[in-house]
Amino acid sequence: MSTLTEAPPPLAPAEPAKKPPRKRGRFTPYWLLLPGILWLIVFFALPMLYQASTSVQQGSLEEGYKVTWHFATYWDALSAYWPQFLRSVFYAAAATVLCLLLGYPLAYLIAFRAGRWRNLIMILVIAPFFTSFLIRTLAWKTILADNGVVVHTLNSLHVLDLTNWLGWTAGDRVLATPLAVVCGLTYNFLPFMILPLYTSLERIDGRLHEAAGDLYAKPWTTFRKVTFPLSMPGVVSGTLLTFIPAAGDYVNAELLGSTDTRMIGNVIQTQFLRILDYPTAAALSFILMAAILAMVTLYIRRSGTEDLV
Amino acid sequence: MKTTSDNSGDVRLSGISKTYGSFTAVHPLELTVPEGSFFALLGASGCGKTTTLRMIAGLEEPTTGTVRLGDQDVTHLPPYKRPVNTVFQSYALFPHLDIFENVAFGLRRRGIKSVKKQVEDMLELVQLGEQARKKPHQLSGGQQQRVAVARALINHPKVLLLDEPLGALDLKLRRQMQLELKRIQTEVGITFIHVTHDQEEAMTMADTVAVMNGGRVEQLGSPADLYENPQSTFVANFLGTSNLIEAEVDTKNGDDIVLRAGGGKLVLPEARCSAPTTAGGKVLVGIRPEKISLTHADDAGEIPEGRNRLTGKIADASFIGVSTQYVVDSPVCDELAVYVQNVERDGRLVPGADVVLHWSPAHTFGLDAAQSLLAGTVGSAGTEEEVAA
Repeated sequence: MSTLTEAPPPLAPAEPAKKPPRKRGRFTPYWLLLPGILWLIVFFALPMLYQASTSVQQGSLEEGYKVTWHFATYWDALSAYWPQFLRSVFYAAAATVLCLLLGYPLAYLIAFRAGRWRNLIMILVIAPFFTSFLIRTLAWKTILADNGVVVHTLNSLHVLDLTNWLGWTAGDRVLATPLAVVCGLTYNFLPFMILPLYTSLERIDGRLHEAAGDLYAKPWTTFRKVTFPLSMPGVVSGTLLTFIPAAGDYVNAELLGSTDTRMIGNVIQTQFLRILDYPTAAALSFILMAAILAMVTLYIRRSGTEDLV
Repeated sequence: MKTTSDNSGDVRLSGISKTYGSFTAVHPLELTVPEGSFFALLGASGCGKTTTLRMIAGLEEPTTGTVRLGDQDVTHLPPYKRPVNTVFQSYALFPHLDIFENVAFGLRRRGIKSVKKQVEDMLELVQLGEQARKKPHQLSGGQQQRVAVARALINHPKVLLLDEPLGALDLKLRRQMQLELKRIQTEVGITFIHVTHDQEEAMTMADTVAVMNGGRVEQLGSPADLYENPQSTFVANFLGTSNLIEAEVDTKNGDDIVLRAGGGKLVLPEARCSAPTTAGGKVLVGIRPEKISLTHADDAGEIPEGRNRLTGKIADASFIGVSTQYVVDSPVCDELAVYVQNVERDGRLVPGADVVLHWSPAHTFGLDAAQSLLAGTVGSAGTEEEVAA
């Protein structure tokens, strides 16, 4: 324990760096962005521009199309096909609500109660993706077939009387009715609801449930006041991931529906591939995009999820 | 432990235990926490203190036994029906609610409509009036901790349970919050049961401390009592530092026991010995480092008669301002710790110097020699056999 009488001199101040920081490093992020940006330009921005120009062209396949800034195509398309637009929104909304009602309990179970079965159930949720979307939708044709078990059971339970009265089904069949299309949409997009719900539920700290219980909240109140609000990010992304593709879907309406259940996706497909009226098809696509964008923006604003941590 | 005639608010645990499969977290436990006291459950991690707390809160169902709050048996009540609130280890504040709503949560669940006044008063008590509309993640650790306390206290629980509430705070803030919590407890007069692994924290805050080890309560008493009269090596080592010396019982001399250690003799008051003493039997002699005086071997003649003495050689000395801590090698014990206040420093007391250690026999305590000397020291929890003693 010797006493220091003199503090050691401080280290000589470092020479100020003469070389400016290397320039190259500053551009690294942009180089890393480049592949993605190129991809977006080639496969997203250019096709969009092309579509936009198509939508204001006039002409025919034989004579060729010319850009004439004919915006009336938009108005004509909308006035001709507004029922299909409305139907698309309605079917997609119904499927989204059904997905939420089916998916939430399942996601909750996987996140909080499944224990060691968690991974297995998650695989089962994702398993349908291993087969083709088309095959699975075609399988529903068999399931809902007019002389199948499902229709028989529903008939003998008089459920079809109810759905007939509601206008969801017609006659003694399910296939080729709105109900079949909504069922198909629900089935096909259910995993897109479950996965984000599961992710946000799984992130909730279990001690928050304990804390709520400790503060006199009954289990149901704990769910209403703590679990559900904290899972809102999952609810919002799940509903978006379900609603957006469902609104533009045409496979389910094509395979499970009839001419009375045509959605806007079917119209666009027909315009493009059968009638070959490219301007109308392009205009319809843009209207659909704008409508979805508007609805989604409004929805996110209303749900106020940006406030959640 | 103090007794109160009115035990309507006492927490009484009788025969309470918890097993997970073949692992016993808490052995059947009898514990009474008197109303209005600040009670600490102290122990290393995995000693069962948190499990005990969670059984009181209702977050764990006891395997056997009952939990009573006053006259009410709450053993099988779910947490939301118990007049008990908890301050969780990492606070568990609701991230989607602001501070005001976090604090109001319990009141609202009990259907109380006008909460504004109460919440504001409570936030004032914990000095967070300004922060009412902030979200938990916008507050510092110390502030979040106070919100957690306010959120629990506003319900006027019969018992407030604190599960390592200061564990996430830095040292300085922790000291400050210890005093703060103690102030709040005195102010509201609610029973606090505080779980901690920090012996200093337990001793600073609590009226009564229960030292837990291996799922059992090793010793229970006031902080001073536990420190001065440890009943086991675990308690002796876990609370502060103890020098433990193996000795053999020689004779009894009135109220004192004379022991042989190495070549010398040590005197131990019989009242301070928790072990059976038969002539020829082994006893562990304990002495706290700050009770020992150091004298250079050359001045050995100046030491008054009647003090316990040991000889040794200074192995290491570290100056820490208030005191100097010496490690002394002695024939009877390898590393004796000695803390000497820096009042009159003897320049000869440097590593290598021969010294005489001496202390008043009244400061000596005796422990059963059938225990591990190292129980309760860093990196060694007591084993079952030691606890059973």
